[in-house]
Amino acid sequence: MARRPILGVFDSANSAADAGDGLRRAGIPETDVDFLTDTPYPEGAFGEREEPHRLYIFPFIGALLGLTSGILLTSMTQVAYPMVTGGKPILSIPPMAVVCYEGTMLGAILFTVLGIIFESRLPKLKAGLYDTRITEGYIGVLVNTEETQHGEVETAFGQAGAVDIKRE
Amino acid sequence: MASSAEQHHGGGHGHGQHAGMWVFPVREEITRDVAGKTFAMPSPYKLALGIAAILTILGVVGFFIRASSDGFGSPGPWGYYAGIFSFVFMVTGAAPLVAAAFRFTKSHWRRPLSRVAELFAMVGIVNIVLFIPLLLAMPPIKNPDVQGSDLEIRRTLWFEVPIGAPYTWDILCFVGLAFCSVMILWLSATPDMAQARATATGFRRSLYGALAGWWFGTKRQWNHQKAGLALLGAFYFMLLIFVQFIFITEFAMSMVPFWKDSVLPPMYTVMSFQTGLSLILIVMFIMRRWGGYENYIGKAPFWSASKILLGLTLLWTYHLFAFFITYWYGRLEVEQNILKYLFTQPYLVVFLGNMLFSFFIPFALLIWNPLRRSDWGPPLAGLVALVGSLLFNLRTFAAAFNTGNHFEFALSHVPAAVWPDIWDICIILGGLGIVALVYLLSAKLFPPMSIWEVKEGTLYQKMDTLMKGEYLVLAKPE
Repeated sequence: MARRPILGVFDSANSAADAGDGLRRAGIPETDVDFLTDTPYPEGAFGEREEPHRLYIFPFIGALLGLTSGILLTSMTQVAYPMVTGGKPILSIPPMAVVCYEGTMLGAILFTVLGIIFESRLPKLKAGLYDTRITEGYIGVLVNTEETQHGEVETAFGQAGAVDIKRE
Repeated sequence: MASSAEQHHGGGHGHGQHAGMWVFPVREEITRDVAGKTFAMPSPYKLALGIAAILTILGVVGFFIRASSDGFGSPGPWGYYAGIFSFVFMVTGAAPLVAAAFRFTKSHWRRPLSRVAELFAMVGIVNIVLFIPLLLAMPPIKNPDVQGSDLEIRRTLWFEVPIGAPYTWDILCFVGLAFCSVMILWLSATPDMAQARATATGFRRSLYGALAGWWFGTKRQWNHQKAGLALLGAFYFMLLIFVQFIFITEFAMSMVPFWKDSVLPPMYTVMSFQTGLSLILIVMFIMRRWGGYENYIGKAPFWSASKILLGLTLLWTYHLFAFFITYWYGRLEVEQNILKYLFTQPYLVVFLGNMLFSFFIPFALLIWNPLRRSDWGPPLAGLVALVGSLLFNLRTFAAAFNTGNHFEFALSHVPAAVWPDIWDICIILGGLGIVALVYLLSAKLFPPMSIWEVKEGTLYQKMDTLMKGEYLVLAKPE
């Protein structure tokens, strides 16, 4: 049986939280439930699961790559064109700092953006189930589950006071 | 949390000296209302757009006449171009940082100013284009014609001149900065574009679909957006101060023989924070007074930002004094020539104007409590500070680009002042015009109010009574 989305639309955050409780009682796994909101609600407002992210890894990798490129570029330049400036050693850190810092920053920024794109699974070509009333403060509870469970989901939505239930 | 029923539409809240300080927009109406304002084309907007376009055309004419008559062989004729570019970069480069910095502090009063600040990211793209002529006009690092005691290699921060220096690394600075700020704008505006899609038509609908079609407002998406904005905001700060350091060192200090000053880059950065915040306050004042955003922008952002503006004004003055006193007390002849050149002789009038507008007037205005609590006081002080900053940049770069021999060991004499000609004035007006033009167009492309942040604010703020007074109650979710 195919998994299909079903969306419950609620006019208050409390009702949406009640729907979350109802779904949990009905045995719907938390990973199948998403709360759609027009603004970020505080952590745990709907009793939802925690959503950890790994975004911080990406800039770290980018910064390391950028720094390595900067070090290689400047040190290789200095070795290839040995020019004593102000009596300083051929390989000295201060002149390398400018390029290394710039490389580190550019690498970190680029990889952060790549991380956002990757973690958000972009590009998304197929539009999902949505209701424009969510932009007016309504809360959407989106459940991606087996079609056989849609009856239980609808019951949970109805008991919590959904103003509308939408299917794909 | 305040329910929608408890929210009040429009008007200001607060009593006595705090009257009108806080506003509580109706959450259910924000998306439609802001989208409607974004898509509207009122007459004052069209007038402003027309004036900005005319100024931009003047600038383009001035630029082409300057290029055709003087070419790029010598930096001298491009001193005022460098000055206005520096002013534009200084002010608009710092603006997106203001949004990031106040978001870090999680203050509620900053919500209406976030997008106003982030929209300046679009000017960052223009900055890349405006920067290219400066690279062409910059004298070479290696002296093509060594004479007498001239240096073989001009003083530069590129030391042993790594591959790509200075041109590639310079342009990469500005590209990286613009890329970072545009990504901040995209990430921040995505929820708003996704929500405004329903009411948008034509080009905007396609654009919002392409940029924000993936957004549904799931917990995972909000978390990624929050983390992404925090990371990019931090990197923007780290890159901005670096690019400012590179720019002021490369295009001002390196151009004046023997000008070695560790205070100038931080002074430039502090001034950019001062003027970036000033510009945002001015834009917010215009939006509140004439843009129909009085229900979104109370007096609180002006009041809170005015204290920061006062602090930055004092900090700039401290840096200026630190720079001046070091050279003055050192009493080396070569340093005295630099002091005379930049401060006390040919450009004395401009320097005094700079001091008056960057410190004395803003300071006098901002120490006055009633003025700080008004919606017009801090923007007025900001406008004055912007004039001071313009004078600072024109003086510094006109002087730096016209020192004559950039390969001299030290400044052996005090050069005469070079005043702007008609084409320089056109270029200066064009620089101001293009910022206004790009910003005005951007404000019609993206919602100029951060809808999701204003809505988030409605969750955590409400007016309540204690004894006989009415007070603002704030929730802190984190």
